[in-house]
Amino acid sequence: MFSVFAFYQIGFNLEDFQKNLSNRRLITDTLFNPKWDWAIENATLALIETIQIAILASILGCFIALPLSFYASKATNQTTITYYIYKSFLNFIRTIPDLFWAMLFTVAVGLGPFAGVLALIMFSMAIMGKLLSETIDSIDLGPLEAAKASGANQNQAVFTSALPQILPNFTAYFLYIFELCIRASVILGLVGAGGVGRIIETQRIFLRFDRISPIIVFILIAVIGIEQFSVWLRRKIL
Amino acid sequence: MNTPKQPINQKLLKYTITIMIIIGSVWSASGLQITPDRFLTAPGKIWILVSAMFPLDLSSEAMDRIVPKVAESLFIAWAGTVIGAVFSFPVSFIAANNVSQNSLSRVTKQILNIIRAFPELILAFVLLPVTGLGPLTGTLAVGIHSIGTLGKLSSEVIEGIDEGPLESIKSSGGSKINELFFGVVPQVMPTITSYWLYRFEINLRASAVLGVVGAGGVGAELINQLRFRDFPRAGTVLVVTIMMVLIVDTISAAIRRRIIKGRLIKV
Amino acid sequence: MIEFKNISVTYPGGVKALDNVTLNIDEGDFVIIVGMSGAGKSTLLRTINNLVKPTDGEVFVDNKNVTNASKKELKIIRSEIGMIFQTFNLVNRSSVLKNVLTGRLSQVSTLRSILGMWPKEDKEIAFESLNKVEILEKAYVRGSNLSGGQQQRVGIARALAQKPKVMLADEPVASLDPITSRVVMKYLKEINQELGITTIVNLHFLDLAKEFGERLIGLKDGKLVYDGSVNDVSDEDFENIYGRAIKSSDILGDED
Repeated sequence: MFSVFAFYQIGFNLEDFQKNLSNRRLITDTLFNPKWDWAIENATLALIETIQIAILASILGCFIALPLSFYASKATNQTTITYYIYKSFLNFIRTIPDLFWAMLFTVAVGLGPFAGVLALIMFSMAIMGKLLSETIDSIDLGPLEAAKASGANQNQAVFTSALPQILPNFTAYFLYIFELCIRASVILGLVGAGGVGRIIETQRIFLRFDRISPIIVFILIAVIGIEQFSVWLRRKIL
Repeated sequence: MNTPKQPINQKLLKYTITIMIIIGSVWSASGLQITPDRFLTAPGKIWILVSAMFPLDLSSEAMDRIVPKVAESLFIAWAGTVIGAVFSFPVSFIAANNVSQNSLSRVTKQILNIIRAFPELILAFVLLPVTGLGPLTGTLAVGIHSIGTLGKLSSEVIEGIDEGPLESIKSSGGSKINELFFGVVPQVMPTITSYWLYRFEINLRASAVLGVVGAGGVGAELINQLRFRDFPRAGTVLVVTIMMVLIVDTISAAIRRRIIKGRLIKV
Repeated sequence: MIEFKNISVTYPGGVKALDNVTLNIDEGDFVIIVGMSGAGKSTLLRTINNLVKPTDGEVFVDNKNVTNASKKELKIIRSEIGMIFQTFNLVNRSSVLKNVLTGRLSQVSTLRSILGMWPKEDKEIAFESLNKVEILEKAYVRGSNLSGGQQQRVGIARALAQKPKVMLADEPVASLDPITSRVVMKYLKEINQELGITTIVNLHFLDLAKEFGERLIGLKDGKLVYDGSVNDVSDEDFENIYGRAIKSSDILGDED
């Protein structure tokens, strides 16, 4: 029922749809006329920039999230107050979409890739925090008990007896988040946060889809390439 | 006492990974001209921005503009998820290699992978000239992407089922359709339905963002306010969006928990 | 060495695990505690290092009040008490050596333990402990790649590495076969006799208790119902402790 209401609100209007279909001719003409040279010349650097943003942000974000996740799990943090603080913090970060973060950071620290990195750090922290803290919730508590029984303090116990248990999960999540960051990084450029998105946006305004299509192809190649790499890496490590 | 030596492989792997991570970060940081001190000054600048947002602009004028847009994001997300769920469901069966033929499933999976590779924003982008500015584009973008992800996830659930009930149906003379309906569907529905809800949560965030390219939703509002430096109003946009996301997340999580526990879905 | 003064433990939920237990254990004693599941054996053991805090009463170890100890004092007390568990509690993904080194955590700064920069002496102690249970050659093997008996030996080595004054064993052989069980019990007995470490073992196999025990303690429904030499124990006494006739599941036997 709600669905019908929603569709109506969006104004699912067949008439308009038909009208716009004629626009398509113009666009597809340019779309399927890729200007490879232009793209290679201008977009390669930006593409590398995009990847660099993703690498830096995912590494920083995930490694910061690692200790935070232990504090956000009842299994390793029995102090109720700090548990709620960390858990709420992680939940809060998750509510803001990555693009919003990017917009905020571009205003705060200026346009450019740094804003993108900061935004994606938040993005990575949010996802890793949720996934990892849930994994930690279900670890074997026995080794932790043993470490505490021998006189170790909480940090030592967690580090030697809880951390090793979740390392395979951490690695898998990290690779997953890295892939997500690559895709997100492309988009962040649209709001001026660096990378190839900036170029796409500029060209879109001038309706130069002939320049955009080769870029998208490059992006696809890069994304699929990185995906294959991470699948290979996963198999090697685990 | 014959103390054994540590095998080289273990140490080598550890060091290699650590070095890779360090090199990766340093190469990226230098390429982007990001130095550690920028990270130290960043929190201060963020604080300036955040404090400029308070007191929030809660005037009725602001709310009149913002609330409908937020609702629009909600509708886009919902409609998009519905499209995704409805279309991905049959497709996922075709893509599952234990229900359909191997070659067919492989092709379908590849198609789904390609669809998945396009972020909603790019899809919206591509659709804009065709479907125009407005929420329809957003819905289609979200919907198509959801078909991709939901299709893949659902097919994996189907592939992971217990074959036992299927065998008993087959042996009692049931047809393939019977097998599907009574053997497969009951097993996969709880998990798949929870995936639909989780997708809705994610789509909500995506649809909020789509406004940025004019595909409907609250994103356009936010970027406008930021461009015009109207921080209190921008803050309001954020707060309202966050509240909506929190509410939806909480409800969705509660429903998902009940489904997994088996109380809600009775197939 | 260990004094229990009117120890009572009631778990949140209302289960009364221990009921007014008063008991003294001398230094160097080898004590075996028997009783049905739920009789309070595990709980009693855990009040010694305060893994379980008694609802009433106090426990003293080496004249130090464990029950009301501060965090700092508790760390020191615990470092002198080694414990081994029914489920071994090894970190599966870590090597045997790393597991044994966790016994030395209380003696090493947090930073060093995190960076893995163990002082030479601690590594020496770890190797010695492994040697004592005759499993030195497996030092760099992953915990999960060992058999149950081997894992328990690593558990013993870990406890030994603490250079403890007290050794607690909570059903150490419950998941092991008869031969391996006897090997583990033999190690515990040897450690007690050679190093003078006060040892308390929870068992539910009566024949093992008779075979290896010196002093026997019986718990039933959280109450102390038997305290005497293992030689004086009769089948009737056992039946009193268990509240029923002896079953075959109470005997470990010899078959594999």
